[in-house]
Amino acid sequence: MMAASIREKQTAALKRMLNFNSPLMKNTAAEPVWKVLIYDRFGQDIISPLLAVKELRDMGITLHLLLHSDRDAIPDVPAIYFVMPTEENIDRICQDLRSQLYESYYLNFISAISRSKLEDIASAALGANAVTQITKVFDQYLNFITLEDDMFVLCNQNKELISYHAINKSDITDTDMETIMDTIVDSLFCFLVTLGAVPILRCPRGNAAEMVAVKLDKKLRENLRDARNSLFTSDTMGTGQFSFQRPLLVLLDRNLDLATPLHHTWTYQALVHDVLDFHLNRVTMEESTGPENSPAGARPKKKNKKNYDLTAADRFWQKHKGSPFPEVAESVQQELDTYRAQEDEVKRLKSIMGLEGEDEGAICMLSDNTAKLTSAVSSLPELLEKKRLIDLHTNVATAVLEHIKTRKLDVYFEYEEKLMSKSTLDKSLLDMISDPDAGTPEDKMRLFLIYYITSQQPPSEVDMEQYRKALADAGCNLSPLNYIRQWKAFAKMAAAPANYGGSGAKAMGLFSRVMNTGSQFVMEGVKNLVLKQHNLPVTRILDNLMEMKSNPETDDYRYFDPKMLRGSESSVPRNKNPFQEAIIFVVGGGNYIEYQNLVDYVKGKPGKHVLYGCSELFNASQFLKQLSQLGQK
Amino acid sequence: MAVDITLLFKASVKTVKTRNKAIGVGFDTSKDEILKKSRPKSDFSNRAKDVITNITRLKDFLLKHRKDYINAGGLISSEYSRMTDSERDQIDQDAQILIRTCSDAINHLRTEASKNALSAQTKEHQGAVLDLTEMYLKSVCKLYSEQRAIRVKRVVDKKRLSRLEPEKRNKLVDSTPPKTPVISSTEQVDEKAIQDESTDKSNAETQDNNVALWEDGKVEDELSPEEIQMFEQENQRLVSEMNSLVDEVRQIEGKVVEISRLQEIFAEKVLQQETDIDNIHQLVVGATENVKEGNEDIREAIKNNAGFRVWILFFLVMCSFSLLFLDWYDS
Repeated sequence: MMAASIREKQTAALKRMLNFNSPLMKNTAAEPVWKVLIYDRFGQDIISPLLAVKELRDMGITLHLLLHSDRDAIPDVPAIYFVMPTEENIDRICQDLRSQLYESYYLNFISAISRSKLEDIASAALGANAVTQITKVFDQYLNFITLEDDMFVLCNQNKELISYHAINKSDITDTDMETIMDTIVDSLFCFLVTLGAVPILRCPRGNAAEMVAVKLDKKLRENLRDARNSLFTSDTMGTGQFSFQRPLLVLLDRNLDLATPLHHTWTYQALVHDVLDFHLNRVTMEESTGPENSPAGARPKKKNKKNYDLTAADRFWQKHKGSPFPEVAESVQQELDTYRAQEDEVKRLKSIMGLEGEDEGAICMLSDNTAKLTSAVSSLPELLEKKRLIDLHTNVATAVLEHIKTRKLDVYFEYEEKLMSKSTLDKSLLDMISDPDAGTPEDKMRLFLIYYITSQQPPSEVDMEQYRKALADAGCNLSPLNYIRQWKAFAKMAAAPANYGGSGAKAMGLFSRVMNTGSQFVMEGVKNLVLKQHNLPVTRILDNLMEMKSNPETDDYRYFDPKMLRGSESSVPRNKNPFQEAIIFVVGGGNYIEYQNLVDYVKGKPGKHVLYGCSELFNASQFLKQLSQLGQK
Repeated sequence: MAVDITLLFKASVKTVKTRNKAIGVGFDTSKDEILKKSRPKSDFSNRAKDVITNITRLKDFLLKHRKDYINAGGLISSEYSRMTDSERDQIDQDAQILIRTCSDAINHLRTEASKNALSAQTKEHQGAVLDLTEMYLKSVCKLYSEQRAIRVKRVVDKKRLSRLEPEKRNKLVDSTPPKTPVISSTEQVDEKAIQDESTDKSNAETQDNNVALWEDGKVEDELSPEEIQMFEQENQRLVSEMNSLVDEVRQIEGKVVEISRLQEIFAEKVLQQETDIDNIHQLVVGATENVKEGNEDIREAIKNNAGFRVWILFFLVMCSFSLLFLDWYDS
């Protein structure tokens, strides 16, 4: 049932697992049962965006530990394991059984465990006489990480193994490719099991996405045929399944659109991911000690690293993560003002209460004031929480603003938007590149690559030389360029280059200072750019496929339906109705810009739901690193 | 959706057993399993489990008698309610005693746990166990206090409704006593008048007055209209006064309950801040010490600097004098 988001489903599955795999009951004051949670790094990545430590405590988890750490024996407490079924994890579990650390063991494997490994555990349990202690063994099928209500990522831990670089490197062997495909298919299968739906698959031909689609189709088909153990029977679908339509799963390859990961961005969440250290909904920043001048000769102040969690409970974040940055700045200011007004209200009560002690008509007024006092006191925790969030966002937004100002990201954004929409440029590319105080060498490289990717014909040799020299002067590493040239040549052979659609950003002139007196976000010199709605290639493809529009680009996509008895090679869809729900999965990596674009697209179409997933999440600098590795061959 | 493969696991255990038997590797499973039953359970967890069972018993007890306690059947005592007020008080008292013993036990366990030198993980585990137990106790307390609040409210409402009738009667009773002193005073005057009659003739007026009063006193029993009105007005006034007083008192009662609740919250917050303030105090004391030492160091440095300067000046003056001397010597 996709109207319940994927995040809720995964959280519900985790909570059920923590309740010893029995369904949760709403009990008033249920007796606490305490337990210990043990996970490996994969499990930790899955749990940390969804459940905070406090929620774990509420469910009775007293300790949560990593599998491969030193753990002490707590011999009268049940232990819940949540691990991947790898060799080392199994060995460690067997070791735990032999040292008899806990009273009973509930083993939950993130993805399905093979029979032979199960027998390894069985023999270790026999050896340690602990068979009765292993109370339950479960396959959880939760091998994916949900970051937002409608966004998921495959993994964070060993993502080099399935990164864009790993898939596209020129010396890849068949076995490597097979393992990568198997990993991706396994995670996608777990995702579909948790979602409880069997989708219709569509993918373009001739690239990694097609391989993944073929394997996934086979796996789904096998599972459906196996009537005894099928994971998609109507019981597992749950009682809320009212949608009779099947969702559409579109598998795309990163090679379809290389410009978007390099693009500079202007929305809040994407900016935070691009500019700061943002993983698994957690921002790590150095604490800025403020604009003080340290006296000469003093030791430099030590900067502490602070972590901020941007969670689903943070209402400001949920509201503004897709807004353009100036709007975010304004909203933070507004929130701060409302908070200050409420604080003053509470402080005013103090003076009123002081007066009332002498007044004779105290009783009538007292009721009013007591009620006010009670409401003030009960709203204090809320106020404190609000203050904390405002501080958090102020810090984050200030850091982002610093970056924007030093690197002149707004100029880059505007220029790239113009490049991608093929409108006229007011400044030549060479000027942009040789401008010494705009942007780091990475920014310039990104700009040039976008220009190269989006131009209809490659620039002439003379121009290329000029550009190369300018880039080298600016200090850029030129190896990504080699790779992009190869890719462009290949892509040209295969199909026409992706069209980025009509887009553009209107500059609304400089931010007036008058509006921001008293605000910390004096964005002088930073242009207030307004984003016009435009569709990235991924969104356009999704639109075509969901609405069953005919388009030369997507007509050639393959069509798979795992529920059909006979697989067909045709690409003619059997179903002529537009889809209400869709899942987009990009093999090779994705980022927040695409996600935001999809969210905006869905906002304009009520009643439709779209989920976005990718095999890994990278920002532009990480992607550039991978490209340079590829270009160095 | 998770798949339960426990049966699969048990099947693989059997397979492994048979395989081991076939190979000839044997494990003495049966003997050890019987011995295994008596695993050492730590003292701490036993005691914590005892506390939890107590709290659960209290909760069940409260829930069982909740309906009777609240007596939602209305003010009229029906035959279905078997709770008298004394029984309710008994329940309250028992619940309070049990809550107190449980929280004492939790605190005791906490101090013991902190004294035991155990590993960090076990300490954390025990601390979390005690936190969970305390939260459970708090939720059961909430049940109890909710019940109690409902009961108190009902009693207050009942008293308010039942007070209106006897009030009027009380007021009338109050107003009749003023009448009897009047009558007795007139009787006294009457006696005096009779005594003075024979003696004093100049008291004729007074006599007349007395007689008039006496006459009036005689008519007292029928209550002249003015006096009826006066008494009625007085009654009204007293009734309204009492009513307003009662209202005020009730309001104050409610406010005091609220204030006590607020007080609790404040006290909690203040206690929380105590540790913070202690820390800050320590830091500030340390800071003042450091600043003092820093001042001392600076003073020394200045002195050294000054001393150094003196020596330099002396050296330069000596050099210039030596130069002058050499010059004079040379010439």
